[in-house]
Amino acid sequence: MSEIQIESSDDELPEEVAFDASKSAALKSVKDVLEAAKREKNSLKEKRKKRQQLFQEQKKRKRLPQELLEEFDKEPQKQTGPSDNKGIYKKVSKTKPSDNKDKTKTGTTAKKISKSLPDSYRVTRIKDESAAKSLQQKAVDFIQSRLYGPGTIRTTNAELLSLRKKRGVNQGAAVGFLNKKLGASQKARIARSNKRFIRQQKLIPL
Amino acid sequence: MMSTDLRSAMGEFKVHRVRFFDYMPSGIRALAFNQDTERMAVARMDGSVEVFHCSDRFFQEKIIPGREQCGIEGLSWVGERLFSAGLNGGITEYDLTNQKVKYTIDAYGGPIWTITGNQQGTHLAVGCEDGTVKLFEVNEDQIQFERNLDRQKSRIISLSWHPSGSKIAAGMMDMIQVFNVETGHSIHRMLADRGAGTSRSKECVVWSVVYLSDGTIITGDSVGMVKLWDDQTGTLIKSHNVTKCDVLALSVSQNEDSLVAGTSEGIVVQFQFVSMVLEKDDKEWVRTRTFRNHTHDIRAVAEITTAVVSGGMDAQLVVRPLLDKIEVRSAASALRKIHFPHRRLVSCARKSGLMLFQYPGHLELWRLGESEGKGTPGSSLFVKRNPEKLLQLKVKGEDHIRCSAVSPCGGWIVYSTASTLRLYRLHCDNNNISITKISKLPKVLSSANQLCFSSDSSHLFSASAQSSVHIASLSQSGCKFVGTLKPKSGSHQAIHLLAASEDGKWLASANSDHEVHIYNLQTQKAHCTVPVYSSAVTAMGIHPATNCLFMMHADQQMFEYSIEQKQYTDWSRTVQRKGLHRFWVERDTPCLNVMFNPQNPSHVILHDMYMLCIIDQSLPLPDDKTQFYNQLTLKSLTEEQRKSQSHAFKVCKTFKDILCVELMPDQSLVVVERPLEDIATQLPAPIKQKKFAT
Repeated sequence: MSEIQIESSDDELPEEVAFDASKSAALKSVKDVLEAAKREKNSLKEKRKKRQQLFQEQKKRKRLPQELLEEFDKEPQKQTGPSDNKGIYKKVSKTKPSDNKDKTKTGTTAKKISKSLPDSYRVTRIKDESAAKSLQQKAVDFIQSRLYGPGTIRTTNAELLSLRKKRGVNQGAAVGFLNKKLGASQKARIARSNKRFIRQQKLIPL
Repeated sequence: MMSTDLRSAMGEFKVHRVRFFDYMPSGIRALAFNQDTERMAVARMDGSVEVFHCSDRFFQEKIIPGREQCGIEGLSWVGERLFSAGLNGGITEYDLTNQKVKYTIDAYGGPIWTITGNQQGTHLAVGCEDGTVKLFEVNEDQIQFERNLDRQKSRIISLSWHPSGSKIAAGMMDMIQVFNVETGHSIHRMLADRGAGTSRSKECVVWSVVYLSDGTIITGDSVGMVKLWDDQTGTLIKSHNVTKCDVLALSVSQNEDSLVAGTSEGIVVQFQFVSMVLEKDDKEWVRTRTFRNHTHDIRAVAEITTAVVSGGMDAQLVVRPLLDKIEVRSAASALRKIHFPHRRLVSCARKSGLMLFQYPGHLELWRLGESEGKGTPGSSLFVKRNPEKLLQLKVKGEDHIRCSAVSPCGGWIVYSTASTLRLYRLHCDNNNISITKISKLPKVLSSANQLCFSSDSSHLFSASAQSSVHIASLSQSGCKFVGTLKPKSGSHQAIHLLAASEDGKWLASANSDHEVHIYNLQTQKAHCTVPVYSSAVTAMGIHPATNCLFMMHADQQMFEYSIEQKQYTDWSRTVQRKGLHRFWVERDTPCLNVMFNPQNPSHVILHDMYMLCIIDQSLPLPDDKTQFYNQLTLKSLTEEQRKSQSHAFKVCKTFKDILCVELMPDQSLVVVERPLEDIATQLPAPIKQKKFAT
């Protein structure tokens, strides 16, 4: 109605409105409403579908991969074989060739059930990951950080010994120069890396 | 390794100076003094617990080895029983008779930071990580959980009972709480100041707390303050700034007039409860003395009747006598530092030149090097073949090694932990070493307090429970149980020393109750018992020719006992009658090994941490007026003068920080040294101290 209505003043005659135009406008509005309703329904449906899909995927993700499940299905059969009596053993041996036959019949080769776990799996013992041990580790870390961590003014043993030598009765040089054992591993590492560098850069002609 | 030629009036020796035993002592974490028995219990960072006898020259009577990841945090005596608690959450009671762990119970509160018993000896309180103070009732043979006090939000770092047992003070993070033990509720909450500067951002940890009978609570915290609080009003009375780093340990004396505080800088500060004005009664706590005997953090202090004992990360136990409490100047009034354990960690296969070094978690077998040429006394000889490490044997399991031995022929190695004993057969050609474990051991050989091989390597002696010794025979086919030697009477204390005679007839054992039993190995029966002496035996050996048992004690006295005649020898009686020289008796480290020289039957070779001594039993004994350390002067005299001047004790002080001395068949000495400076370079980091002009 707003499309047809123009500013009306009291003096002028009422406007002449064609019947068709108003009919079509009314129909359009009704259509619009219906369409809006449909759209809403559709969008809700889409939403529901998407949510359902998401749930499915999550469920799938939670489950172990197909191969492992198959392996579990096959395992009990194989395990009971050798451990049971001879009678059952015979049965298993009988089924085994038939199994193979079935597989060959269907044409699909038997899936190789790998005994090793996929890469993202890790095996740890419960003993190694008990809660008590981690509490103990946290306590040790607490003490370590309070006594040796940031905020503490610590120095090295070499400096302590060197200071004692400097102020002592028989004054001598710092411990690092006198004691060959100090930092021997670091010196060895530096010597090795120097050698490697010289070799790489071919500084010494062969 | 160096070879030195040592020549003096005592004879010429080629000396192998061994410095490749990288022994690292473990830092001291806790101290506990038992007033009635005068014993000091020391807990170390590796979980081992040692008991020192304070009135017997601080001899290390008992050692209970630790284990991996033990994490002891506190020790407490309840009567004559010893308890410890640690970060693994358990409370452990020790069986001091057999020197092992009796049992461990879990407190279920997370890591335990402190354990303390009340003065009445009825209850133990532990402070846990989860903020609870748990009370345990001490029963006849066990402890039982009674109840928790009110749970707090932060961890409980330190505890102290009021002497009446009705209140308990707990040092926590940023605050101190006083609990009423009956109700379990907190009476007072005192907030510890975080200090100024950078420490404002970190919580203030109240490392230790002491509760006095007049209601004063004294705390040491991580800001470096020793604070005095009043428990009636719950307010601060006084605070003393002791150091710029942490105050880690506090200890108050029995009569509550003296307090010592140990800091991270290695300083021990003493406070005394005295009146500022003479003859006036208003006493207060005044800072009096400062002791600087440590280089690293002091984790534990204890004030005993006449001395202050402190220990920390530099792994030495320092006993500082308080000279105002001592009347007579004696050996007890000197500063004492205990660095090395009072047990042998090195054993030697004399016939094959092999040495076995005992570490807590593994054993190392080395072959000595060879030198050539002759040199002048005191010079270094050329080393023709370097010493080499033949074998490193790691212990299976988490327990630490308690004792180990290698047979004189070098064919067998045995070690024992608290739970197992393992025997290995060793085949050593010139370049090939092979070792096989003997798997089928007799069931009685489960754990040993001390191990010893017979001189012909045919038998193994294992000291076990109830002061008895098991004998096992060794042969190509393995190890067979032969018999057990039991003393006729006496205590059940654990044996810490064994000595076998050269001819294979006699075996002597010394236990922690100062009893020395001698057994006849052919009849497998007890032969005789040496009269009990008041001081513990630190080393003993049986003379190969005369079969006399030579014993050294912790108070530096020596006795020689003839086994066949069952009485002290004449020489020993002369020594006792005349008395030993003052310098000998005043030595502060015990002798750990007694050896004999087959080529000189009258010589007895002893060593302690700072000296090596050869006692010539054919020479006259020195009296108090003769010069004791006379080796240098004797060198400058002529032959005749030397003969008239020399006395029986020939002391050599060339070697320092000696762990072990052995005499090899080719008349060469092996001296295993562990320079204290080398240990100091591997300790944890110390606090930086600003010294003038550096």
